[in-house]
Amino acid sequence: MVLTDQWLHYLAMTSSAPSNQPALSAEHIWKVFGSKPERAVELAESGESRSDVLAATGCTIAVRDVSFAVKPGETFVVMGLSGSGKSTLIRCVARLIESTKGTVNVDGEDFTAMNANQLREVRRKKLSMVFQHFGLFSHRRVIDNACYGLEIQGVPKAERHERALEILGVVGLSGFEYHYPQQLSGGMQQRVGLARALCVDPEILFFDEPFSALDPLIRRDMQDELIRLQQTMKRTIVFITHDFAEAIKLGDRIAIMKDGAFDQVGTAAELIRNPATPYVREFTEDIPKAKVLTARDIMTSGGDSSRRVESSATVYSLVPLLLNDPTPIAVTEDGFVIGQVDRESVATLMDEA
Amino acid sequence: MTTTPTSDRTILNRFGPYLVLLAVLIAVQLLVSAESFPALLDDFLKDPIDSLGAWGQVNRRTHPLFTQFFAPLTNTVDFGITTIEDILTWLPWYVIPAGLFALIARRRRFLDATVAAAVMIYPGLVGLWEPTLETLALMSFAVFASAVIGIPLGIWAAFRPRVEAALRPFLDIMQTVPAFVYFLPLLVLFGIGKTNGAIATIIYALPPVVRLTTLGIRQVPAQSVEASDMFGASASQTLFKVQIPTAMPTILAGLSQTIMMALGIVVLAALVAAGGLGGLVLQSLNQRTTGRGIAVGLAIVAVAMLLDRVGRSLADGDRTKTLSRGAKLAWAVSLIAGVLVGRWKEWDTFPTVWTTRIFDPIDTAVDWAIANWSQYTRAVNDFVVGDIVVPIRSFLIDTVAWPVLIVLATYMVWRIAGPKLAAFTAAAMATIGLIGMWDLSIDTVVQVMIGVIIAILIAVPLGIMAGRNARVEAVLGPILDGLQTIPSLVYIIPVVTLFTLGPMPGIIASVLYAIVPGVRITALGIQNVPSESVEASQTFGATRVQTMLGVRIPLAAPTIMAGINQVIMMVLAMVIIAGLVGGGALGFETVRALTRNLYGHGFEVGLSIALIAMVLDRSTQALAQRFQPPAAT
Ligand SMILES: Nc1ncnc2c1ncn2[C@@H]1O[C@H](COP(=O)(O)OP(=O)(O)OP(=O)(O)O)[C@@H](O)[C@H]1O
Ligand SMILES: [Mg+2]
Repeated sequence: MVLTDQWLHYLAMTSSAPSNQPALSAEHIWKVFGSKPERAVELAESGESRSDVLAATGCTIAVRDVSFAVKPGETFVVMGLSGSGKSTLIRCVARLIESTKGTVNVDGEDFTAMNANQLREVRRKKLSMVFQHFGLFSHRRVIDNACYGLEIQGVPKAERHERALEILGVVGLSGFEYHYPQQLSGGMQQRVGLARALCVDPEILFFDEPFSALDPLIRRDMQDELIRLQQTMKRTIVFITHDFAEAIKLGDRIAIMKDGAFDQVGTAAELIRNPATPYVREFTEDIPKAKVLTARDIMTSGGDSSRRVESSATVYSLVPLLLNDPTPIAVTEDGFVIGQVDRESVATLMDEA
Repeated sequence: MTTTPTSDRTILNRFGPYLVLLAVLIAVQLLVSAESFPALLDDFLKDPIDSLGAWGQVNRRTHPLFTQFFAPLTNTVDFGITTIEDILTWLPWYVIPAGLFALIARRRRFLDATVAAAVMIYPGLVGLWEPTLETLALMSFAVFASAVIGIPLGIWAAFRPRVEAALRPFLDIMQTVPAFVYFLPLLVLFGIGKTNGAIATIIYALPPVVRLTTLGIRQVPAQSVEASDMFGASASQTLFKVQIPTAMPTILAGLSQTIMMALGIVVLAALVAAGGLGGLVLQSLNQRTTGRGIAVGLAIVAVAMLLDRVGRSLADGDRTKTLSRGAKLAWAVSLIAGVLVGRWKEWDTFPTVWTTRIFDPIDTAVDWAIANWSQYTRAVNDFVVGDIVVPIRSFLIDTVAWPVLIVLATYMVWRIAGPKLAAFTAAAMATIGLIGMWDLSIDTVVQVMIGVIIAILIAVPLGIMAGRNARVEAVLGPILDGLQTIPSLVYIIPVVTLFTLGPMPGIIASVLYAIVPGVRITALGIQNVPSESVEASQTFGATRVQTMLGVRIPLAAPTIMAGINQVIMMVLAMVIIAGLVGGGALGFETVRALTRNLYGHGFEVGLSIALIAMVLDRSTQALAQRFQPPAAT
């Protein structure tokens, strides 16, 4: 009985596994600011540090040999402190600036090799971006901001307005369509930025610290909003932030960026449980692990029990259950038992935090 | 005891060069004091230009340069202006204010529309309808041409730093050199008439629209441009859909300034027979009829306001506030009907209501003022001219040897602005001397200095008061607006009647004209002092005066210095214009050269004015820089 459960679960896992082709991938991206970029890359490849290269060539290495791949529908978060090169990376990937070295693929096509026309075509059809300081058009009303991308594509006015009205409703801006962006609060302005990006129905969305300029409460609202939208729309997202909590909340996978390079890439749980560098550990230390790690992360192999929890339940939520009754609890996923959690493992984790 | 030699040496090291310099200066002073600057290059420069001018006059009808280029250009411009004028006079008079109202009201800006219509009716009421249409035609052509040339140029400069760098010196010179100087060379090329007036106006008025267009395009947030790029917009889509519309308020501010500058020189354009309202101002000036001068001046202000409102309305892309289609149609139909009926009934000239005589009571007031005050004003005039201007002038011209003056001025500029500008100053002064403009230039500079000192003494305290006290600012506001918009030659008229011809009216008019930016910018500087700095000072128990002197004024100093720079440039421009009212010096020579076709002489005068303007402008800008706190690194 138990065996069959697990077998069926295995089948379900393999069949729903995503196709191998990533929606977006970047290979060995370098970006050097300064007059001698090739020399700087050479020096850096031979192992010189960022500051040594700066001293030797006067060039700033903003992005240093970064590679990653994002699966369709995945939210990939790049997290790093100010100046770590996040904006430069996302701009290289979106080709708002040209990278010094490296290739970017969109849907398996070499994005970096495209000429200006092809680039425009791909951008019109597949990409969108939301900016930290909104980048709204102050001379256009909210509705005309939202349908800008469609206007660029030459969609007739009536049609694009209809679509914009719909999207503005989705992001909660009904009633403000005919205002100018500067008449709205910061949070609402970023909703306009979001609507503008979504209006063209892009496959891939870039977010460059979209919520950093907002108050904490509004920021949380916007995060929840994005999670809600993503549940139905399932877009491929590259999200930049300097806030680790935000990264954990939104990201399927997180890359920690430092001095232009990725220190570690993984799920929130992986980063917390096995930080690869002291730098990564520093971020994870302040995070209440019990609220991030789930039953799945700490379960041990074991049998069924009358008490069951979903594998996605946070460790935090298990505490009251195990306090009252110390017997192990079975962990289920899609209705199948995949392991168990006991009082010890929860207690160890709570001690660590 | 043993330390004395070294300290002697340090003193020598420190002051030695100065002592040597001083000794040399005294020696030079004793040797050359009586000699005037040898005008070695005078004929060298003058003769070829005179013959060029003469050549131009002789060959105007025959040489291909004229027949193939300048004559067609002149004819085109002339044709453009005359056509606008013809259309305006052909239209029944009431159609013009009604049409302006409709144009502006199409965006539901009814207040603006009413103001524009009312302002258009005013000149008709006082019998200035035709000259106003003439000026309106000339100005709308000049402003339109400035926009058509200036906006693309500004956009180009915004994208190409090299283009901007190449343009900058020309824009600087066009803006600093008093407009008066342009007329003469243009006279050679375009002859006398409207074209000359229009082209001088375009040259003079072009810089603000170019600069502010460049600035506006640059200031478009980078993220807006990136956002547009990310949607796959082409460069021209981004330019027309994002960059230009976002920059529009700044571009319009530039266009407003261009309009103000263009209107500022309509009076001068009358000197080259551009006619219109400017000619009437000159006439009032000659006849000392203050009232009629003011009537005409107000008509000029009306034209300025009109162009400004119309320009703004044309650029207003906000279609949400558009009149309904029916209303637009009704307006169009009634305007056309108005034209047809008016033409049929020949209602094309404005019905006579009053003439400019209605302003004659002002002359009575001025006469009264002369009768009662002239003993005092004449006394002031005699004191300023006889005891200040003349002695300083003769001291600088007759007593101080010219090399000494050059060295002292160069040294001062060196201290303020460094070696580059000092070298430029020395070269400029030497050039002025060599072409025989030394005495005239010193005369002009003395008048400028006196005007500047008086203007600063009035403007800075007023500005500080206005900056600290909103009520003072509210009272001063309209006065300053008036001084700024009414053409300066208009308020020179009563001043001339009160103070007689001579340097005095020029100085007073330049003070009146130049205190405007002085007060405004000082007030701005004081208001922009961060309140935290002021509060910090107060928490230390500083008195108001201590806070003012220790915090507010030092923090506002860079801004105030920028204001003083503008004061100096405006005083210079006015002192030159005052050549028309007996101010003498370079200004008078400009007028003389202009009216008598003295090309070579006029060129030398113009060159001297340009050099003086550049030295004054750059050194005061450098001074303003020095007050700037060091930039963070
Ligand atoms: N245009 C540029 N020219 C020269 N150096 C640049 C340029 N843009 C960025 N840099 C440098 O590259 C580095 C990375 O900058 P970047 O803006 O990508 O950082 P960031 O991680 O986005 O920081 P923030 O959180 O502040 O936005 C910095 O050292 C920055 O000084
Ligand atoms: Mg950034």
